[in-house]
Amino acid sequence: MFQSLARLLATLLHAALVFGLAPLLAGLIAKYRARLLGRRGPSVLQPYHELRRLLHKTTLLPETMTELFALWPLVAFSALAAAALLIPGFCTGMLDPSLGDIITLVGLLALARAALLLAGLETGFGFGGATAARIALLSLFAEAILLVVLLSLALATHATTLNGIIRAQQAHPGAAVSLGFALLSLLAVALAENDRIPAESGGDDQEPAMAHAALALEYSGRYLLLLEYTTMLRLMLWISLIAALFFPFFMARAADPLTWPAGLILWSAKLTVLAAALSLFEVCTARIRLFRVPEFLGLAMLLGILSCVLLFISQQAGG
Amino acid sequence: MHLRMDPLSALFLCILVPQMLAAALSGMRGSVVLWLFCASLALTLLAATPFTLVFGLGLAGTAAWLLMLRLERKAAAPYIGVALFSVACLIPAMFLPPGGLAFVLVLLGTGAMAGLAALPQGASVALSGGLMNVSVYVLIRYGFIAFGAATQPWWGLVLIIAGAACVLPGALGAILEVDMSAVLASTSLAQLGLTLVALGIALRAVAMHNPALAALALQAALLGTLAHALFRPMLIIGAGAVRHATGTNSLDWLGGLLRGMPRVGMLMLGAAAGMASLPLGPGFAPEFLLLHAVIAAAGTGAIFARIGFVALLAALGFSAALAVGAMVRLIGLGFLGRPRSLRAAAAEDTGGGTLAAMALLGVLCIPLALLPGVVLGALVPVIQLLAPQADPLPLAYAPLSLALLMALCGGGALLALRRFAVRGTREVVAWNGGFGRPPVWLPFGDPTTQPSATGFAEPVARAFGGWHPANAGGGLARLRRLRVRLSHAARRIPLPSPLALMLAALALCLLVLILGQGS
Repeated sequence: MFQSLARLLATLLHAALVFGLAPLLAGLIAKYRARLLGRRGPSVLQPYHELRRLLHKTTLLPETMTELFALWPLVAFSALAAAALLIPGFCTGMLDPSLGDIITLVGLLALARAALLLAGLETGFGFGGATAARIALLSLFAEAILLVVLLSLALATHATTLNGIIRAQQAHPGAAVSLGFALLSLLAVALAENDRIPAESGGDDQEPAMAHAALALEYSGRYLLLLEYTTMLRLMLWISLIAALFFPFFMARAADPLTWPAGLILWSAKLTVLAAALSLFEVCTARIRLFRVPEFLGLAMLLGILSCVLLFISQQAGG
Repeated sequence: MHLRMDPLSALFLCILVPQMLAAALSGMRGSVVLWLFCASLALTLLAATPFTLVFGLGLAGTAAWLLMLRLERKAAAPYIGVALFSVACLIPAMFLPPGGLAFVLVLLGTGAMAGLAALPQGASVALSGGLMNVSVYVLIRYGFIAFGAATQPWWGLVLIIAGAACVLPGALGAILEVDMSAVLASTSLAQLGLTLVALGIALRAVAMHNPALAALALQAALLGTLAHALFRPMLIIGAGAVRHATGTNSLDWLGGLLRGMPRVGMLMLGAAAGMASLPLGPGFAPEFLLLHAVIAAAGTGAIFARIGFVALLAALGFSAALAVGAMVRLIGLGFLGRPRSLRAAAAEDTGGGTLAAMALLGVLCIPLALLPGVVLGALVPVIQLLAPQADPLPLAYAPLSLALLMALCGGGALLALRRFAVRGTREVVAWNGGFGRPPVWLPFGDPTTQPSATGFAEPVARAFGGWHPANAGGGLARLRRLRVRLSHAARRIPLPSPLALMLAALALCLLVLILGQGS
């Protein structure tokens, strides 16, 4: 009884933290980025201000929209929010026993992406269409790499749920070479999925040729708020996914509230460090042409496959 | 003519009935040939002896050809050729002892028949659905039951490779083709490939005495066949309705159809979510099971086979994302956005039979989308017939709780926005990156300023070696040219006369029957 209550509380706390801190994480990355470029940068709370500003804006509806105009932001948000809730944050063993499957996670990401692409095509203007086509191309690699990396983890741990993988990693910690390759290739996917590969236009340029922002070009007011928040949530999701899968150390147990404070502190530390690593990578790479991005992702795919092969070899040698 | 019914034939009859009902409802009610086609499919499914089965299959091929003669005379030639080829492959397979050669013959015969469904001309509901399902049935019947004792692991590998060879070109074609029915034919090919991959994993697992994996892969194959048989006809009927309303199926001339055809559009959207295997759609549970089967298969066996399964998983990931992209393109360019032609602007919703057929299939999709576990429970006898030691596990994917979670998130967001955000909305001219309103003589703007289907396919085409005429040199371009040349060659085959060919086919069928009586 007490245990299920504790797990329920942990789940609610996790939801509150993920939803509440997503803008902060985005602000943190922008701050790091500015500092690394030698600028002062906006306050880390800036994303909150921007969301609040959008609350006070009237929603404009373009006259070429269809009735589904309002549906796409909602679907994209719901799918991504569900996925973000399924990823263990500061603790394991929350109330999502049958849902936290790796394939369900991949499916939810695909659903969110499909809704965003349809939002870009909704009003039938060039910017949205061109960006949707480019994102569709990059998503091919992203989905395949994500599956291969998850396969590598599933094979190493003999589990196909996120909780199972994390528990097995905690039970047998060790820095395997194959795990390192998997981490690198998942990082590449995270960059691609969050528009962090500087292709043609970087993160804070006005030119909306590449970023997910071009998909939201016709949206305003509360729908734009939902879309922008979804973008922040996606960043949160990927960073906490990497933290949970590759650095599952000192995570709290949901049924044991005494372990929560340490778990919370370490979780925020992990997020901060990973965010710093992300912005460092972003600043250090030169812009590449968009059609070189598939080559970059193909390399990541090779790394993922290599990690599986190394795992097979080590398992054969070991057993 | 010996007939009998076991769980496998019952399942495939259940798959056949809604498809044929939909075909009849959507405007082929009066056709005698359609009912002949249905009867011959049912005969194949209920056959108790190999001779009856081959007879039924030959008859079905002939009926398909006759149907095609009525629909599109020029494209009919491949049908009769393939029917003859399949019968010619299956007859020797009956006499050979169960073994590798017989299996390869069966695979060739059924594969050719199933491949017909991927012809863009054959995108008629009855033909593509009926022929594909019946050939999958024959493959399962022979591979798992008739040859069951002699199964070898390499049979499974052959099936997996054949499946992967269908999945990738099919998925790429789906995102590159401009014609809506060609897109659907390509996705049919990809779906056939997915079924073959699942069957291959199951066959390999049966041969290697791994009943748990066999059960998982069979669940994927059977549930996939069931689901595809519901949403694929929906899309094909919807494409037919669009052609009827606008006079074209080319995505470059459509757009904004959701305004004029809201009911067809919403049904198409649901079916496309199934085809793209998105969560909460009818197509996700089979995809989920298939990917889990590949993950499980990569965990056992020799090291090269395991590396092969990793590559297979990557290929399936590619094709899943391609399917999402293709369906986004179909819905986004065809039904959303602005009209690209006056006919698309003036399109009106169809009523009556077509809509009823789509609605029937759509309603049948709901249990598959929300209660796949219950459907899988009903499949247990079939799975135990095919893999006797198998004990299928319950499904690990729970759509109802997932739907609840998503509804909580979405509902919470809506409530928060309603509470805190400014209420009003105002209709304005679209911003379009700062470009002005189009001139009055172009009420929907200049169509050339819209994203086009060709343009949407361009990044993928460029990344995969040039489907474009502009850079025709890549492997894909060569493949496409080969296909075009083959289909032209097939059209030029001098047909003596339809009647003579029909007589020849009938004579062949009679020969089969006589052989059957003699043995």
